[in-house]
Amino acid sequence: MIYALEVTIKSLPFLLEGALRTLQITSLAVLLGLIIGTFVGMARLSKHKLLRYPATVYVEFLRGTPLLVQIFIIYFGLPAVGLNIPRYPSGIIALGINSGAYIAEIVRAGIQSIPKGQTEAAKSLGMTYWQTMRYIILPQAFRNILPALGNEFIALTKDSSLVSVIAIRELLRSGQIVISRTYQSFAVYIAVALIYFVMTFIMSRIVRWTEKKVTVS
Amino acid sequence: MNKFESEPILIIKDLWKSFGNLEVLKGINLEVYKAEVIVVIGPSGGGKSTLLRCINHLEKYDRGEIWFQGELVDEKSTDMNKLRTKIGMVFQQFNLFPHLKVIDNLTLAPKVVKKIDENSAREKAEKLLKRVGLVDKMNEYPTKLSGGQQQRVAIARALMMDPVLMLFDEPTSALDPELVGEVLEVMKSLAKEGMTMIVVTHEIGFAREVSDRVVFMDGGVIVEAGPPEQIFKQPQHPRTKEFLRKVL
Ligand SMILES: Nc1ncnc2c1ncn2[C@@H]1O[C@H](COP(=O)(O)OP(=O)(O)O)[C@@H](O)[C@H]1O
Ligand SMILES: [Mg+2]
Repeated sequence: MIYALEVTIKSLPFLLEGALRTLQITSLAVLLGLIIGTFVGMARLSKHKLLRYPATVYVEFLRGTPLLVQIFIIYFGLPAVGLNIPRYPSGIIALGINSGAYIAEIVRAGIQSIPKGQTEAAKSLGMTYWQTMRYIILPQAFRNILPALGNEFIALTKDSSLVSVIAIRELLRSGQIVISRTYQSFAVYIAVALIYFVMTFIMSRIVRWTEKKVTVS
Repeated sequence: MNKFESEPILIIKDLWKSFGNLEVLKGINLEVYKAEVIVVIGPSGGGKSTLLRCINHLEKYDRGEIWFQGELVDEKSTDMNKLRTKIGMVFQQFNLFPHLKVIDNLTLAPKVVKKIDENSAREKAEKLLKRVGLVDKMNEYPTKLSGGQQQRVAIARALMMDPVLMLFDEPTSALDPELVGEVLEVMKSLAKEGMTMIVVTHEIGFAREVSDRVVFMDGGVIVEAGPPEQIFKQPQHPRTKEFLRKVL
C-alpha cells in the first residue's frame, strides 16, 4: 500500500507531462474542429444543396461511427492507400475531424439563434454574405455558443484518451507506461483518473463562469 | 419649379409576390420622384412591408419590374449588394448590431463595403450622430439606449451609405408613445433636406405634415393614392374611408 503510493507520487511528474500532452492534443484538435465546424455549420444552413448535403453527410457519418474506428482509419487505414501521417498529427486530425462534426451542430444552432433582423440590417447596408457572417453573425453566434464550445472541449479532453491506442504518449498512455514498469495498476489508474478529473473540473468551472457572463449581457 | 419634373428615381410596374399560396402583392404600380416623401398606410397584412422589402430585394418578387435610377433591377445582371448601398432601410425593430458600439454600428458598413478609411468614416459618423442628437452616446452599446435613441442611431447608420432613397417600415411602431416624437423629428428634417423617402407608418400627423403623397394599401393592391389633403379629407374608396375612420 505504502509502496503503491510511493510509486505513484514518484511517477507524478511523468504523468503530468502526459496530462500536458493531453491538453496540447485536445487544444489543437478543438482548433481544427472549430475551423471545420464553422464552415460545415454554415454549409448546413446554406440554400445550395451542393453545400448542404455533403455537410449533412459529414456530420451524420462522424457522429454515427465510433471515434476509435475513425482513429484506426486515419492511422492504420490511410497508409494502406499510400497516405502516411505520423502518429501525433494522426491523433490530432482524427480528434479534430470528429469534434468538427459536433462543433458544426453547435455553430449551426448559434447562427440560428441570431435574429433574422441582424442579417437583414447588414444586407440592407450592402454587405455581402461573407461580410455579414464575418462581422455580424459569427461574432454574436460565438459569444452565445462559448459555453457549448467549452463543454465540447471537456468532452474531447476525455475522448482524447482513445489516441493512447496508437501509442501517443498522452495522460492515459503515460499511466500505462508507468504500470508496465511498476505493476501498480490500481493506484496508477486512480491517479490518472484524478488528473483527468481535476482538469475537467477546472474547465467546467470556467465554462460556468462564461455561461454567466453570456447570459448577463 | 415643380420638384417632380424630372424622371422618377423609382418605378414599380405590375409587381406580384406570393408566399406559397398566399398572394401578398397583386400588381403594384408606383412611381417615386426625387425628393418625394411617400407615406404608405393600410391595415396590417396588406403587404406594405413586403413591398418595401421587394424594393431593396430583401424579398424576391414573382413578376413585374422595378426600375431604379433609370435601370431595370434584375437578379442576373444587377449587383444587389451595390444596389442596397443606395437604398437605406429603417426597421420597426431597429436591428442595431448589439455587439458593436454606436460608433461602430455606423462605421462598419462604410469601411467594409465602401472601403472608406477609419478616420473619414468616424468623422462622418460623428457628423451624423450630431445631427440625430446622439453624439454623446457614440461609445455606448445599443442596449444601453432607449428605443427612440436606438431608432435615431439606425437612421444615422443608414445615412452613412449616402442613400438616394430611404425606406422606413413602421419606424415608430415599437416605441413608447413619448419617444415617437424624437424619431419623427429626425425624419422630418431629413424630408426637408430633400431626401427621397417611402414611409410605412400609422402616424397620420406625420403624413399630413410631411408627405407629398399618401398611398393606401389593402389586400395586396394600392387602393387609392393622392396628396394627403385629398386622401384624408375626401377619400374616394369605401375601404379607405373605413380604414381612416378607425385610425383617425
Ligand atoms: N416571409 C413570409 N412568409 C410567409 N408569409 C409572409 C412572409 N412575410 C409576410 N407574409 C404574409 O404576407 C402578408 C403581408 O405581410 P406584410 O407585407 O408584412 O404586411 P403589412 O406590412 O402590410 O402588415 C401577411 O399575411 C403576412 O403574414
Ligand atoms: Mg409591416
